[in-house]
Amino acid sequence: MANKNIDHILELSNELRWQIGDEFHDNLTEGIYADAAQIVSDTVQVDESKKRFRLDRQIDKIVTSKVFGFPIMFLILATVLWLTIIGANYPSSLLAQLLLDTFHPILKTGVAAINMPWWLSGFLIDGVYLAVAWVIAVMLPPMAIFFPMFTLLEDFGYLPRVAFNLDNLFKKSGAHGKQALTMTMGFGCNAAGVVATRIIDSPRERLIAIITNNFSLCNGRWPTQILIATIFIGAVVPSTFSSLASLLAVIVIAVLGMAFMFGTSWALSKTLLKGQVSTFNLELPPYRPPRFWKTIYTSLIDRTMIVLWRAIVFAAPAGAVIWLISNIYIGNESIAAWAIDSMNGFGFLLGLNGVILLAYIVAIPANEIVIPTILMLTVLVTGIDGGAGAGVMFELDSVNATGDILKAGGWTLLTAINLMLFSLLHNPCSTTIYTIYKETKSVKWTVFASIMPVILGFIVTFLVAQIWRIVF
Amino acid sequence: MKYNPTYALILFFIISGVLYVLFRPAKGWFWIIKNNFKSNEKIVTEDILKQLYHFENSGNKVDTKTLLQVLDFNNNQIIEVVKKMTINDLIYFESDVLKLTNAGRDYALRIVRIHRLWERYLADKTGFSKEEWHDRAEMMEHKLNHDETNTLAAHLGNPKFDPHGDPIPTKTGKVAEVHGVELPLLPVNSIGRITHIEDEPEIIYKQILAENIHMGSLIRVVENNATRIVFLSEGEEFRLAPIVAANLTVAPIEKEIIIEDNIARLSSLKEDETAIITGISKESRGESRRRLLDLGFVKGATIKIDLINPLGEPNAYLIKGTSIALRKDQAAKILIKKD
Repeated sequence: MANKNIDHILELSNELRWQIGDEFHDNLTEGIYADAAQIVSDTVQVDESKKRFRLDRQIDKIVTSKVFGFPIMFLILATVLWLTIIGANYPSSLLAQLLLDTFHPILKTGVAAINMPWWLSGFLIDGVYLAVAWVIAVMLPPMAIFFPMFTLLEDFGYLPRVAFNLDNLFKKSGAHGKQALTMTMGFGCNAAGVVATRIIDSPRERLIAIITNNFSLCNGRWPTQILIATIFIGAVVPSTFSSLASLLAVIVIAVLGMAFMFGTSWALSKTLLKGQVSTFNLELPPYRPPRFWKTIYTSLIDRTMIVLWRAIVFAAPAGAVIWLISNIYIGNESIAAWAIDSMNGFGFLLGLNGVILLAYIVAIPANEIVIPTILMLTVLVTGIDGGAGAGVMFELDSVNATGDILKAGGWTLLTAINLMLFSLLHNPCSTTIYTIYKETKSVKWTVFASIMPVILGFIVTFLVAQIWRIVF
Repeated sequence: MKYNPTYALILFFIISGVLYVLFRPAKGWFWIIKNNFKSNEKIVTEDILKQLYHFENSGNKVDTKTLLQVLDFNNNQIIEVVKKMTINDLIYFESDVLKLTNAGRDYALRIVRIHRLWERYLADKTGFSKEEWHDRAEMMEHKLNHDETNTLAAHLGNPKFDPHGDPIPTKTGKVAEVHGVELPLLPVNSIGRITHIEDEPEIIYKQILAENIHMGSLIRVVENNATRIVFLSEGEEFRLAPIVAANLTVAPIEKEIIIEDNIARLSSLKEDETAIITGISKESRGESRRRLLDLGFVKGATIKIDLINPLGEPNAYLIKGTSIALRKDQAAKILIKKD
């Protein structure tokens, strides 16, 4: 009996729903909104003079104007990047001196005094400690400068205007204007850039921003680019122009990264991601004086420290692996030497070499240690003088000495160019991969975002290498 | 073989060429072969039923020859399947003409129901572009079973119409009526509302999309002759060839409601003009529509341009004291009345 009643009611409700029609739900929602608006206008008093006060409007007129909008934007971005790269040099070298040149020998003598076996001290101090120290020295200062500056701009309310100005460019590639911000954030750190995509509330555009963030050169890769450009690109022009040439080369790589970002965004939105829901809206909040100390504090804690902690967690095992592969022997060759031998052929095809490929494999946890690893492995396989022993990463103070080691390892201008390209186009570091997983909660997209750039890198370096060899 | 950069390059291009031919979206050989494997008896049966249903609705008669022409399958297979269907009592012959039995019609309605529900789903819950809805629904209509269909319908709130304005048959096979006539049949100066946009054939549908004609828009015919039909809608003028216009169904509005005057799309608002929002077009669906409502784009709100974009779009609009940037295609779906 009861069942019959329920069925009857259900049927009646379906019947009524049918009669009311499709518009009902929309009309109801709109009615509620309109009523709410009416109540607000009846009861809430607004000081008309305070609405959108004049200063705000004036600033907006200038920063979004046809004439000044873009120059202001580039100027601010360039200043932030310049301050980060130049300003980070001093604390970085200070940290490097402290952690690498002072503490490392002290630790070594310390463990020698307590008679620790060589393999344990090598594993712990030359492997784990050195990798962690390196990551801290290279990573911490730029992040501690970049993130607070970025957060201040964000807090002030300028960044939404950048998204506003640039949206049309991003729209053409199927992306959201706010991707300009996450991309810029990626120049500091890709993992932080991926987290920053939370500001994009449209699912499709957010995925695009996450997957393409890796095309922003992060601060773990800037030093590599600058070093290689100085050694190899700067050398092919007259010495007066060498610093200019190497600077231009790095900028070209960064711009190339943006081109890849746009291209990949476009391709993704037309193929794999076309089914994802896409919406757009962009609020331009009023400007407000940044809360300076609070901003500094939160950006240091929320962004810098979290990213740094994750990097350390991943770098420690990487250091261990680097030490182990150079010190465990199979037959009369170390694992590293075997691996380099087996990858040399493929590396040659890409205009690179086995050392570089192995370095990029073991340095997945942190791009910062690519150059020290390459130097160590080069010394290991060529048997030339220099370095600090098998499995001990090192860097040289002199750019020329670094160049000599690399040239002894068989590097040419092609190797250098392709290394710069590969440094731009390869898998994200493991911190970023982990962050992508945390943000997307999808194994599929994480794997895709990790593999796609490497494949692109292989294709691009391969093409460059073949054409180079045909032309020269 | 000795390494040679030219050979390596040629080999690379050959491999990528082959991969492209095999896997390019939609037309890649791999996908075509994969789809062909799936064209089994069930799909042929269902497509025949659907065709017969549509022909029956438009009052046309079908013989086997026409059926072979309209369907994209192997002819022998179709004839084989038609035979089986007569045995299974889904269709019967009246001399030459094929007809649906009651059971056949019910089956056809189920397929149409899934097709239109799926289009509705694609429109409301995904980001696929309009051009793709039809083909995707064509595939899906053979995949969903009875229970899945009902779950989908409940999830969508048992909608009455698909995004093109076609009625969705109910669980019990009831079909709502589409009000209105084909646009070319409307006399000059008549006012009506667009209730249906036909999505086949594809070429004509793409033209309609390119014109930015929206479902649910009010229109007024200003010119109607053998060469073209001109109508005003939402402050803009549209000119269509009669063959294109025939794909639009318009429900005439008898009562002289005060409409049209000053109604325009937000995208046509100029700097320093203010306007009052009169509603959001039916074309703004799902998530996008909800966002707009959330941000305060509701009937009766005052709106004006806050900032002009240096690159043309999006412009920022000042609404309820907040500055919100909208792209042109969004602004075109918000209807306003200029002061």
